[in-house]
Amino acid sequence: MVNPCNLNVPEERLPSLPIDLNQVEGGSSLWADAWYRLRKNRFAVISLVVFLGITLFSYVGPFFCPYGFEEMDLATRAQGLSLAHWFGTDGLGRDLLARVMYGGRISIGVGFIATAISLSIGVVYGAISGYAGGKIDSVMMRLVDILYAMPYAIFIILLMVIFGRNIVLLFVALGAVQWLTIARIVRGQVLSLKKQEFVEAAVSLGLSDSRIILRHVIPNVLGVVIVYATLTVPSIMLLEAFLSFLGLGVQPPMASWGVLIKDGAENMTVYPWTLLIPSFFFSLTLFCLNFLGDGLRDALDPRSSKD
Amino acid sequence: MDDYLILDNIKTYFPVYKGLIRKKQVGIVKAVDGVSLSLRKGEILGLVGESGCGKTTLSRTIMQLQPATAGRVLLDGKNLCELSSSKMKAERINVQMIFQDPYASLNPRMTVYSTLSEAIATRYPNLGRRDMLERVSTLMKTIGLNPSQMKKYPHEFSGGQRQRIAIARALAPEPKLIIADEPVSALDVSIQSQILNLLLRLTKEMNLTMIFISHDLSVVKYISDRIAVMYLGKIVEMGDAETLMENPLHYYTKALNSAVPVPDPDIERSRCRIVLQGDPPSPIKPPKGCAFAYRSPLPHTQEEAEQEGHLKEVRPGHWVEVHPATVDDYRQYA
Repeated sequence: MVNPCNLNVPEERLPSLPIDLNQVEGGSSLWADAWYRLRKNRFAVISLVVFLGITLFSYVGPFFCPYGFEEMDLATRAQGLSLAHWFGTDGLGRDLLARVMYGGRISIGVGFIATAISLSIGVVYGAISGYAGGKIDSVMMRLVDILYAMPYAIFIILLMVIFGRNIVLLFVALGAVQWLTIARIVRGQVLSLKKQEFVEAAVSLGLSDSRIILRHVIPNVLGVVIVYATLTVPSIMLLEAFLSFLGLGVQPPMASWGVLIKDGAENMTVYPWTLLIPSFFFSLTLFCLNFLGDGLRDALDPRSSKD
Repeated sequence: MDDYLILDNIKTYFPVYKGLIRKKQVGIVKAVDGVSLSLRKGEILGLVGESGCGKTTLSRTIMQLQPATAGRVLLDGKNLCELSSSKMKAERINVQMIFQDPYASLNPRMTVYSTLSEAIATRYPNLGRRDMLERVSTLMKTIGLNPSQMKKYPHEFSGGQRQRIAIARALAPEPKLIIADEPVSALDVSIQSQILNLLLRLTKEMNLTMIFISHDLSVVKYISDRIAVMYLGKIVEMGDAETLMENPLHYYTKALNSAVPVPDPDIERSRCRIVLQGDPPSPIKPPKGCAFAYRSPLPHTQEEAEQEGHLKEVRPGHWVEVHPATVDDYRQYA
C-alpha cells in the first residue's frame, strides 16, 4: 500500500546561523497589539487624555492655587465666577476651584485605591478558588455568594457608624465590597484556563502551583481584569459620592466631589454654580473612564468589538 | 528487563453524577478499562482507535494528569501512581507530552524564549543567562526554527511552527519518554510529514521512547515500531507494525486498515472497503460481554456475544482479542 505520509518531502534544512544575539527579532506581545488597537480608537484616546488632564488638575493644581480648600473668607461669601475666584466661592466663602481640585484628589484617589484593594483580594481569591477546584472552590464561592447577598450600602453605613468616619476605612470598605465580582470573574476565567493544554503542559513540567498560577494563569486573566477594573473605578467613585451625599463619606472640611455636589444641591436655587461645577467634573471623569473601559475591552479582546 | 514503561492493568473510570444538591452516582464511564502494555527503551508504540475510545485518557493517566482508578504505571521500575506529589513533580521531567492542538498548547503571553527556558530550567535550574540563551538557540535549531525568532510570541507563528515549539518544549527537560497525543492531526498533510520526520529523527537521535497516539492509521504505520489498537477502553490487538498492517487478525483492525485511503484513484475505486455498522457503544452503558460483537458481521450467536473476549498471544509478540465476533475462525486460537 502506498503511504500517504511518504511524500518525499526533503529533510528540512536546519538554519545554520551562528548564534548572534544582535540578530534576534523582537516580537510583538499581545499587550503591544492591544495598545496599538487602543491608540486607533479615537474616543478612548480622547477619554484617556481628558482623564489624565483632570487628574493632573486635581493633584498638581492646588500648588498653583492661592487659596486653601478650608480657607474661609466671610467677606467673599457666595460670589459668582470672577478673576479672583475662577469658580466662585461657596456659602462659607471658600474658593470653589481649590475645593474642586482637593475634592478630585479624594474622589479619584478613592476610586483607584479601592479598586486596587478589591483587585488584589479578588484576583488572588478567585485564582485560588478556580485553580483548587472541588470542595475548596465550593466553600470559597458559597462565602462569596453569602457576602453578595448582604446589602452593601448598609454594610458600609454600619462600618462607618461603628468605626467612625475615617477616610482609610472608607477605602477599605469600598474595596472590600467590590472584590466579590472580581473574584467571580477571575474564578470563571481560571476554570476555563486550567483545562487549556498550555497549563497542563506546565503541570507536566513539574512546575510549582504558585508558579503556574503566577506565570501561566494570571497573565491570561489580566486582560479581562483590566477592563473590569477600569469600569469599577467609576462605580466606586459613584458609591463614594452616594455615601458622601448621605453625609457618611468624607468629613468636612475635607471635600470630595460627592460632598461638593451635596453642598451645592442644598443651595442650588441661590448659587447654582456650586452644584454645576463639581457635577461637571464628576460626570466628565465618569464618562472618560467608561469610554476608556469600553475602548480597552475592544482592544484587549478584538473578537468582541463590533466592527 | 529492559522495559522502560510498563502499564499494568490500568483502569481510569469517571463517575457520572446526577442531581444538583444531593449528588447521586448514576453510572461509570470506563474510559480506560484494563490496559496492560510495555515499552522497551527507544521504541515507538503507535496507539490507534476511533474518537472516544480512551486514547487521550490513557495518555493523561500515564502523565498522571488524571489519576488512575486502578493499576500501576511503572516508569523505570517506579510506580508513578504511588509517588507523593513532591516526588512526582521531580519525576515529571522524565515524561513529557506533545499535545494535539498547537494553538492551545502554548501560553500566548510568553515568548518562545521564556517558554523554552522555563522548560530547560526544570532540568538545569542553575543556568546563567548566557548558557540558557545558548541552550535555547541550540534547541530551536534542532527542531528547525531560526533562533533569531526566540523573542516572538506564539501568535506570530504558523500552526506547524507552533507544533515545533511545542515539541521543543517537550524535549527541553531531556525526557526519556514522550507521549505524543495526535501531534499532527491539527496540521495540513504537507506539514504533517515534516513534523513526523522531525519526531522520527529526534527519537532516533535522542534515544527516546515514544507513545504516538493517532486515529490515523497511515500516520501511525509510518512512525511506529509496534502498534496497539484500542476499542472502547481496551486494547484489542497489538503487535509489530508490519505484521499488524499486513496481517491484521481482529476485524476492527481490518476495518480501520481498510479506511485508510490510497492515493491512487484506480486502486481506490476498485479496492474493497470494510464499513462497520453502527456507532461505537456508549461507554456509560457498554454492552454485556464483547463490546464489538453487535457491530461485527462475523458469525456468532447471542450467547457468544455476551461472553467477553480475552487478549491472547497468537504469535510471538502479536496479541489479539480472541472472540467469535472479532477473529475469523476463532477456534484455531483456543
